[in-house]
Amino acid sequence: MKRIFGVALGILTAIGGFVDIGDLVTNALVGSRFGLSLVWATLVGVVGICLYAEMSGRVAAITGRGTFDLVRERLGPRVGMANLVASFLVTLLTFAAEVGGVALALELATSVNYLLIVPIVGVAIWFVIWRVKFSVLENTFGLLGLVLIVFGVALWKLNPDWGDLFRQISRPHKPTDESLPVYFYYAIALFGAAMTPYEVFFFSSGGVEEKWTKKDIITERVNVFVGFPLGGLLSVAIAAVAALVLLPANIQVDTIGQVGLPVAVAAGKIALAIAILGFVAATFGAALETGLSCGYTVAQYYGWQWGKFVRPKEASRFHLVVLMALIAAVGTVLTTIDPVKITEYSVVFSAVALPLTYFPILVIANDPDYMGTETNGRISNFLASIFLVIIVVASVAAIPLMLYTKAGQ
Amino acid sequence: MRASQLIGLEVLDHAGQRIGTVTDLRCKQDGPLRGAMCAPRITGLLVSPHRLGAVLGYDRHAQHGPWLIRAIVGGLHRNLTVVPWTQVASYDGQIKLKPLGDSL
Amino acid sequence: MSAAREFDLELHLLDRQVVDADGRMVSKVDDLELNLDDGGNPYVTAILVGPRALGPRTGGHLGRWMTAIAARLAGSQDPPRIDFGHVVDIGEEIKLGCRVDDLDVQSLEDWIREKVISRIPGSNHAS
Repeated sequence: MKRIFGVALGILTAIGGFVDIGDLVTNALVGSRFGLSLVWATLVGVVGICLYAEMSGRVAAITGRGTFDLVRERLGPRVGMANLVASFLVTLLTFAAEVGGVALALELATSVNYLLIVPIVGVAIWFVIWRVKFSVLENTFGLLGLVLIVFGVALWKLNPDWGDLFRQISRPHKPTDESLPVYFYYAIALFGAAMTPYEVFFFSSGGVEEKWTKKDIITERVNVFVGFPLGGLLSVAIAAVAALVLLPANIQVDTIGQVGLPVAVAAGKIALAIAILGFVAATFGAALETGLSCGYTVAQYYGWQWGKFVRPKEASRFHLVVLMALIAAVGTVLTTIDPVKITEYSVVFSAVALPLTYFPILVIANDPDYMGTETNGRISNFLASIFLVIIVVASVAAIPLMLYTKAGQ
Repeated sequence: MRASQLIGLEVLDHAGQRIGTVTDLRCKQDGPLRGAMCAPRITGLLVSPHRLGAVLGYDRHAQHGPWLIRAIVGGLHRNLTVVPWTQVASYDGQIKLKPLGDSL
Repeated sequence: MSAAREFDLELHLLDRQVVDADGRMVSKVDDLELNLDDGGNPYVTAILVGPRALGPRTGGHLGRWMTAIAARLAGSQDPPRIDFGHVVDIGEEIKLGCRVDDLDVQSLEDWIREKVISRIPGSNHAS
């Protein structure tokens, strides 16, 4: 019974924890401009993250070590350093986006200017990282994030033509008023929003924090293969309601309020309040994950003691890196750059960094010296190879497209 | 002296012809006793004909996994040869080998 | 007496995690110190730790910059060393027979612990 409860908790946490500010903003924005013609990009991204999260979780369960620890060992200090710099910077940018997202969501709830809220958010994030137990931290915000199901409720209440929706998803065609480069730019953005690098670092380091062993692989797989796709469906729901409500009204999403607008229209004020709670939970949870990941990556590369599973005094450098990353993230938001813009850049740069972060995991997951008998099966490798190609294409095309389309104008 | 000062050096035979790059240092644990164990003593150099050396990590047994990975990692590390340390004449900036047995 | 183990420095020692007798993470093997024996053969005498050891191996501008800053702060080019005599096992991790506090290789960690982390309440509680 306890086992089933544990598995259920894991799945629910994975669903609620899947969505972060990148998914919220990008899916709503794309829905409001492109309807459902880019859902395929989200779905491809969801398959990709499932594949790579499973691999990195399995690596953590078998080796008991974090990703970057193994990356440097397997690929050497030079490649490891290139990897570290790219991953750290992208994770830090995402951290700033999440911190900004929390502040914007709270502004929506309280009407207090988000710049005033940001420092308080910073302190709260740090306090939770410092004092709250890892499993409590993960489960609480994951479960609270589940309230974003309200987007699914809103979609149902809008009473759409389901056949038509399905047709739009399965037979995507670019809207006539948008150019092809812009279409593919947003495909890459959606892909980067689903396949965030930090998710993999956090998932594998979290596995070490929670002392996973070989026995936990099955649970870990269920969490990933059931929880993440359902979380991905939430992303699609966010795009769908935006497509149904905002697209006909020609409203484009550039504030977080507009992300929630379709919910208010479809299901009323209380539903909007629930959605806002979901925004706060999802972004706060993601802020914790990205903040910790900033510390995990650096500490694991250098071989420092890391983790919440030891007393902070015994992992001083790790905690200092997390604290400095938090200060940098809060500082970035306080420069008054629109957090929604920061989010848009973070998802595109995530796509750029993906090959560097994912290729090493694929190498290690295939190495019997580390994995014993639990190396990748043929299906995993087949899919992972296809994704490696997709990832490289997306990574190479991202910046040129961003410059050419002036970031999706 | 540090291990990193030997790894990555170019290896030349006694005639001055380039043989490859030092990719690794083969050791035997039969050096002077230090603490609980004998120190590892360098017995040979692993030399790769490529200039890249061990850029993407490598393993001595067949690389497992998707052919794409095998192609990238394995392709860089065909033809690793072991040069015994006894054949090293000097190692200042480059490894120069002694005249005997230099057909690799 | 069993035959002496054979292994390769880069593959089996360099960049491996070093842990102490309590299982605490100490560092990575950032480089190895070699001395010459009577026969002129190099052998490993110590594990070298920290940016002054890792910087030259990372190479490029970033590596040189790392090394220079660390050398300036510490006032010397020599990186901290863990005598190879402390090593009791070479496997997936390099295990030491002593505790990390008995070595003096974590000056940055110690300094940060003293000046920053210890001053924050709750630094003694794992979570």
